[in-house]
Amino acid sequence: MDTFLSAIFSGTSRGAIFALVALGLVLVWRGAGIVNFAQMGQAMFTTYIASTLIANGNSYWIGFVVALVSGAALGSILDVLVMRPLSNKKKTELLSSDSMRAAIPVIASLGILGVLQALAGIIWAAEERGFPAPAKQEGFTVAGNVMPFTAFDVFVITCVAITLILTSLFFKRTGMGLAMRATALNQEVAKLSGIRTNRTRTLSWAISGAASSLAGLLLTPSSNLSPNTLDLALFIGFTAAVVGGLDSPVGAVLGGFILGMVISFVTFYDTPEDVFLAILAVLLLSLIIRPHGILGSKDVRRV
Amino acid sequence: MLKVENLVTKFGSVIALDGVSLSAQASKITTVIGANGAGKSTLLRTISGLEHPAQGIITWQGESIIAKRPEDIVRMGIAHVPEGHAVISELSVEENIAMGSLFRRRKFKSDVQVALDEAYQLFPRLLERRKQLAGTLSGGERQMLAISRALVSRPQLLLLDEPSLGLAPLVVEQIIDSVNILCRTTGLTVLLVEQNANTALGVADHGVLLSLGKVVADRPAAELKADAALRAAYLGY
Repeated sequence: MDTFLSAIFSGTSRGAIFALVALGLVLVWRGAGIVNFAQMGQAMFTTYIASTLIANGNSYWIGFVVALVSGAALGSILDVLVMRPLSNKKKTELLSSDSMRAAIPVIASLGILGVLQALAGIIWAAEERGFPAPAKQEGFTVAGNVMPFTAFDVFVITCVAITLILTSLFFKRTGMGLAMRATALNQEVAKLSGIRTNRTRTLSWAISGAASSLAGLLLTPSSNLSPNTLDLALFIGFTAAVVGGLDSPVGAVLGGFILGMVISFVTFYDTPEDVFLAILAVLLLSLIIRPHGILGSKDVRRV
Repeated sequence: MLKVENLVTKFGSVIALDGVSLSAQASKITTVIGANGAGKSTLLRTISGLEHPAQGIITWQGESIIAKRPEDIVRMGIAHVPEGHAVISELSVEENIAMGSLFRRRKFKSDVQVALDEAYQLFPRLLERRKQLAGTLSGGERQMLAISRALVSRPQLLLLDEPSLGLAPLVVEQIIDSVNILCRTTGLTVLLVEQNANTALGVADHGVLLSLGKVVADRPAAELKADAALRAAYLGY
């Protein structure tokens, strides 16, 4: 029973972070039609920025805020400098097939990932370093028993919940949110309605960048920070997005929690070595049983 | 006034518009008729900036709008209702209409609500269904929604692409009537593309007959309607 409860708690906390990673992927997929493999590279980079600030004597919270802001900035910069010129119709007219054209930005995102990891290695050296948590990582003590739930878990779940509520309010209640949904659903009608789709696309990259930076900040305290730390998180987040439906933000969150639970239960009841295998199994099963994901629409998979 | 001169638009090696010249007079309905594949839709798409012409001139109120983006062309007062009841099915009726006025929200705050109310007044059925998803509407309602979305951007020129497509005659009449009333009462300029030549010529002031990307007739609508030989040659009835 104790093991079961521990697995549930740990699964919720990890699942919340993977939900964030998946949400970041879904936002860029919907907004720009690209699976952004550089996403957690961006998060790694901004976590290094936070780590450097904190190491130089600034408070955790300054590092936290700067990481989120630089995550948004980095996302926007990548879109404006790399993705927008690539999607420029005239220049890619040489590539006649649509599938090739769709593949270009994805390959570019892999390139960006490589550049960011190499840059991080050059700037901060490639050895692992620790990253602080803003709250205790030991379990709460209730009546002398150590519970499997930590103050840091509470912090993680609060952060993710706030992010999810804010993004959902933003999309449902604001004009910019409506413009972004319209752009994601039908670019032509959005343009004809006067929506500047270039800007809404950049905004998708910015929000996704900030969300994944947050995921980076929340993930690294339990592992260590190195240029490759977050590779696995991208893989898990991608699986979560596929399971939930690549074009559904709610599906992404659901997928994140499912993956969190799977990983947690495999870790507690089997061995941590099997986690990677379990994720692959989930990805495969999901693609076989429900290729468009739990909440995704049917004609979405192009990449 | 809209003026198009010697417009050429190509898709790869296919020439969709082959030197088209025409104009749409202010506060009048000009209709462009022709068979399938005559280039009617391409003409509207080139004017609204969705397609880039290979050559030619498009001027709107004396200013060239070639090479401008669709987003900017809407801001200049040209609204395009593309073919096939172009609404976003996954958004509600309310959101579809509001979408068209988003860009005016900062500058013309008080006017945005007025424009929305006017759209609902023109098509009261949309008001009843404003919380419904656009995908659940009938074809006629969807067309009304697409037109409303365009109207709330407060255009001076409305580009209307085959509003009759797939609709029952009674619904077509209702929609065409609404557009006609709008033109006559508010001074809206309309460029109406139609395959249904009789309906279009019945309401239009001026008619342009397009065939295989070329203009073959450009006359007052009544005259064009009366020309049996031309109709038989190009429209098949």
